[in-house]
Amino acid sequence: MPEETSLIPPESLALIGQVESESPAVEITAIGAQRYAHAVGDLNPLYFDESFAKGCGYRTTIAPPTYVQYALVRTRPLSDVRDDGLFKGNSALRLRVQRTMFGGEEWDFVEPVHIGDRIRAVSRLSGLDEKQGSKGPFVRITRETTYTNQFDHVVARARQIGIAR
Amino acid sequence: MTNEAQVCIDDLAVGFELPVVVRNASRVQLFLYSAATWNPHRIHYDADYARFEGHQDVIVHGPLQGAWLSQYLTDWAGPLGRLVNLSWQNRASALPEQDYEFHGWITAINDDVVSLEVREQTVDGVVVMPGEAKVQLPLKNRQRA
Repeated sequence: MPEETSLIPPESLALIGQVESESPAVEITAIGAQRYAHAVGDLNPLYFDESFAKGCGYRTTIAPPTYVQYALVRTRPLSDVRDDGLFKGNSALRLRVQRTMFGGEEWDFVEPVHIGDRIRAVSRLSGLDEKQGSKGPFVRITRETTYTNQFDHVVARARQIGIAR
Repeated sequence: MTNEAQVCIDDLAVGFELPVVVRNASRVQLFLYSAATWNPHRIHYDADYARFEGHQDVIVHGPLQGAWLSQYLTDWAGPLGRLVNLSWQNRASALPEQDYEFHGWITAINDDVVSLEVREQTVDGVVVMPGEAKVQLPLKNRQRA
């Protein structure tokens, strides 16, 4: 595709593979994991009942698989919220688009995340693919985050897909 | 532990269909999910703003539907099963106070891991979120004591 019609400026292509953010270790708490589980409507006893979880071979209660990303969300001041309610972006990524929508996720759950684990994360921009859709061209943005526990074991990898048009 | 209801790999075959589960989010649930995930995006609680962005009403968070899909599989897999991989694509918006069905079927079995195709659809059969998953399951005679 000729560069002048591409939604992806060349300087943004150069960001692929680079680290966008790193989160220092955060402790996974029962209150946080259970708040999330209740908001989802997921009352699995593995998240709430320690003796049940131990009876199933876990060290203690565990967190719902997709919770880990929210445990690591850092709070920000209200002054960082835009009119649409989203936080102002920190990414250096610039695309010739109006809006980015949530497109989906891909998860590898390598090991369970237990309550009390200390989890850190590294996020990279892993892909920018311009595609032609029924509503015109769009860019598929992929960011991959690797979550690691206090034993230096990777517990999960998540690829988050954004659709920008 | 032993559990009569625990699904085991020995009982399954390619083509097996998981029981359908219906989910329906209230507006209060959308609010609580926004709060629990520190997500202030206005399209999930401000109907006027959501319409300004071209939506019919406030919309259900894509990741909440992903969490429902995860729960659909972990509930089916039982406490001795383990979700290994999960991917989904949010293709269309979902609305609060509407029923959505979760479907899944087994596409492959390798050792103790089943591969599944899964989807969330409207009651009219419109797919809003297709996905794929892998789930590890126990063998009947090898459940942890």
